[in-house]
Amino acid sequence: MTTASTIIETKSLIKKVITSEGELQILQPISFAINQGESVAIIGASGSGKSTLLGLLAGLDEVSGGHISLDGAALHDMNEEQRARIRGEKVGFIFQSFMLVQSLTALENIMLPAEIAGLDNPKKRAQEILKQVGLDHRANHFPNQLSGGEQQRVAIARAFITNPKILFADEPTGNLDSNNSHKVEELLFKLNKESDTTLVLVTHDDELASRCERQLRMSAGELKEETQHLKVVAGSGGA
Amino acid sequence: MSMAFQLAWRLFKHEARRGELTIILLAIVLSVASVLSLSLFSERLQQALTDRSAEFIAADSQLRSRTPVDETWISEAQNRGLNTAFQISTRSMVFAGDELTLSDLRAVDAAYPLKGEVKTSDIAFGLGQAANKSVAPGEVWIDSRLYQLLGIEKGDDIEIGDATLTVTEILSEIPDAGFSVFNTDPMLLMSAQDIAATNITGPGSRVSYKYYFTGDSSALDDYYDWLRPQMNREIHRWTSIEDDESPIGRSIARAEEYFLLASLLAIVLAAVSIAVAAQRYSQRHFDPVAIMKTLGASKAMVRQIYLMQICFITALGISIGVIAGYLIQQGVVTLLAGQVEVALNTWYWRPLGIAVFTGVTCALLFSLYPLLQLFSVPPLRVLRKDIQSTLSSRALQFVFSGSAVFLLMWTYSQNLKISSILFASGILLVVSLLGMTYLLIMIGRKLGSGSMGAWTLAWARIRRRAMGNSVQLISFAITIMLLLVVLVMRNDMVKQWRDQLPEGTPNYFISNVTEAQKEGLKEHFTANNVKYEKFYPVARGRFVAINEEKIRTDVTKEDEEVADDGRQGLGREANLSWSTELQSGNVIVDGQWHDNWQEGEPVPLSIETEVAGRLDIELGDELTFNLGSEVITATVTSMREVDWQTLQPNFFFVLHPKAMENFSATYITSFNLDESRKAEISRIMAPFASVTLFDVDARINQLREIIDQVSMAVEFILVLVLIAGALVLIAQVQASMDERLQELAILRTLGLKGRSIRFSVINEFVIIGTVAGLMAALANEFSLYMLQTAVFQMPPSLHAEYWAIAPTVGAAVVGVLGAIGCWRLLSLNTGHLLRKMV
Repeated sequence: MTTASTIIETKSLIKKVITSEGELQILQPISFAINQGESVAIIGASGSGKSTLLGLLAGLDEVSGGHISLDGAALHDMNEEQRARIRGEKVGFIFQSFMLVQSLTALENIMLPAEIAGLDNPKKRAQEILKQVGLDHRANHFPNQLSGGEQQRVAIARAFITNPKILFADEPTGNLDSNNSHKVEELLFKLNKESDTTLVLVTHDDELASRCERQLRMSAGELKEETQHLKVVAGSGGA
Repeated sequence: MSMAFQLAWRLFKHEARRGELTIILLAIVLSVASVLSLSLFSERLQQALTDRSAEFIAADSQLRSRTPVDETWISEAQNRGLNTAFQISTRSMVFAGDELTLSDLRAVDAAYPLKGEVKTSDIAFGLGQAANKSVAPGEVWIDSRLYQLLGIEKGDDIEIGDATLTVTEILSEIPDAGFSVFNTDPMLLMSAQDIAATNITGPGSRVSYKYYFTGDSSALDDYYDWLRPQMNREIHRWTSIEDDESPIGRSIARAEEYFLLASLLAIVLAAVSIAVAAQRYSQRHFDPVAIMKTLGASKAMVRQIYLMQICFITALGISIGVIAGYLIQQGVVTLLAGQVEVALNTWYWRPLGIAVFTGVTCALLFSLYPLLQLFSVPPLRVLRKDIQSTLSSRALQFVFSGSAVFLLMWTYSQNLKISSILFASGILLVVSLLGMTYLLIMIGRKLGSGSMGAWTLAWARIRRRAMGNSVQLISFAITIMLLLVVLVMRNDMVKQWRDQLPEGTPNYFISNVTEAQKEGLKEHFTANNVKYEKFYPVARGRFVAINEEKIRTDVTKEDEEVADDGRQGLGREANLSWSTELQSGNVIVDGQWHDNWQEGEPVPLSIETEVAGRLDIELGDELTFNLGSEVITATVTSMREVDWQTLQPNFFFVLHPKAMENFSATYITSFNLDESRKAEISRIMAPFASVTLFDVDARINQLREIIDQVSMAVEFILVLVLIAGALVLIAQVQASMDERLQELAILRTLGLKGRSIRFSVINEFVIIGTVAGLMAALANEFSLYMLQTAVFQMPPSLHAEYWAIAPTVGAAVVGVLGAIGCWRLLSLNTGHLLRKMV
């Protein structure tokens, strides 16, 4: 049952795909809920279904069965156009490969979601948030003129410009060296805290996952266990 | 300004600056520039050639009539802004003292000729120069033969009917004299105002009337539309230069078809390059579309953004293309100034319209499928890069592209036949290539399983990408095929034109050579170092019956008026020849030539196929001719196709000599006398004064000039199409390099030597170029056969050498372009390569 503070809830969520060998169920029935403002890490080995689950939760993919509610919106009943509207209004994204539009500058990339959502003064908002991530001097640079860390900071700024209720992050530090990973992590959690955004993060990095309030572990398409405040693996440092 | 517009403009601005739109822009610029320059040049050249050709009928259009036409017909033409002129022609006896001869009399008004020039010379058979006046009332200009036959001087009087006129000029040439060795009467030109005084055009006389018109082509068309319902087909005939059946007319018509073909092929080339570029453009935008959709953009918004961007690209491409096309055309016209005659000071809007239409249609229709693919990219691609567009029907792509190409060709050419032929050969090529691609996969599966050498790697890559890259292979092959078609057609056509007039082409014809004079004349020619051609026997007969039924009167004396090659009309009076040897340029298409005739069988006759068709004559029909008081009957035993484009005497009817054994023949022949010996002609022919001499040098020179000009123009067009083709190939290689980027980066990262990678990529391109060249040679053969037989009316020919040339050139050109493209990528370090991939 959805409570006042629940922002994401799934019930018996499944995903099937058609392969050359027939229909394959890649997500077993999954039910869980995430509260407003929570930070949740979905962890697991490669191929365990983390990204598939993220795609469904974010409304990027169609469910094969079960229910998903995103801030009260029944994603499982919506078509792609309706889901796109929900994404534009409520969701922010950060990806492992940054996914910046190569032919737009850093500033324009940040402005993009604000413009799509029809918000006022997208440029001013973008300039402000670009300052927050410390890249105001790189506003007119194109992505290929920025380092990996800088590109991910631009992506974070883009994700926060619309003040989303939920932020989905897919391996946000997966393409970065440890120094940049650390900076990006700090920035991500700082903005998350300041804006009271719900953070759903997919990672196989236990250290990053440990900074989240909850961890959901995926294995072979099943949500095997749910842990609170996973302890950091010895020697790997921590929050 | 809407958000979609702002975003589209922003993307366009940045991508244009960063050179990301270069390929698609170049493709549109190329299509517009090549179509504009070709069409503009072609229109200007055609206008010049039409003007030039119009000289052969002394006007843009001509109305021939057996009776004077209603005066309102002429006043109506003048009211419509057309210029008019008038000529009466008949045959009449001319007297000068005791001498008399039959002449071809032309009486003209002061406006004659509307096109071309009347030329006169100072001495008989001398070089003609343009007369800067028209023949005045009371005067007569007579040609060199008449001058010779009558033995008169300038200033002498001659009598024509009841009128006495003074000879003031030696007539060298009139524009619409026509050319026929059978047109035996010498010509005189007089004023139409004097014709009434001669009293030779009364009832029973055989007079024809020609009315000449020049003016704006639409005004001429409108006038003809007005006139046509009032014309009587039995009496009146309308002729335009387009209807000209002479070798010149046919050469020009064929050149026009070639221009059309070249322009069509340029459009197809441009279309192929746009299709390739649009595909590349679409694939490069898969990620941005997925990102926008992920960030909440609706499908409608994505559609708007990218349609607007295509509009911006198209508008920019068309603008640059128009400027480039105009400059190319102007540059070539300037370069060829003095060699090719073109109408310089005219701007034609039609080519501009066609070029813009082509640019818009190509850009929109060929980017339609790639755009649809782009619109259907799912947002999930942000998480899974392997997800492509959900629209992946190759058949749909072929249907879109195929329909677009066909529609463009048809719209542009307005010629269903030429469009269908090119399109059908394109389809054949595509189907064959798909088969070849499949075969390659099979071969590659075996060859690609060895150790990782450069060749193995190349084969393995082809095998893996063969189906996916079939579009690329097909577009290579189509480009090579189109270039081959244009090249081979140009070679065949120019060769055929030049063959019509080889060095030493006879420039004099003689007729009325009697049996008694024949051997003497041959010896005389040999003694004077004159190279003469074969002597053909000829007798004038009256064609009276087919299978003992009298022939209809629509085959009349007036139809005898002969055009350049003497085939336009067939009169009741026919020239008969006889031989057991088939004349060169003649081909038996039905029945048997009469060299095996046996005594006792009916006398055989061979008839030219078109005349047979016109008179509904079939094999086995019995034809009757009157020769003086004698009657000859012969049976049709063969049908001949005659090459009228050779400047040789040709005959509609050729009998077996048996039929003519009781008749004395006269002979005709031809010979060449070099320009430097022209002054000797009077001396050479003096001992044979009764023989009739025709000087066709001026005519041949005119023909040669036109052929040279048209050939030059055709060569320019070939160069333009070759440049267009080369640019398309570069665009294709460039596009395919993007696909190779990732693989190159991986191979470099794995430590494979740059040299090995480079060779494997070059080898891959060499294999693709060879296959494309081979398939292009096959499709080229098919297309050429269809074009030669169905469009250009040329004998079909095999082009075996291109079976070797096409794959070799394909391998070399595609290989070199691949090497250049690959060099650029391999000059980047691995880090750069990896970054470019992201």
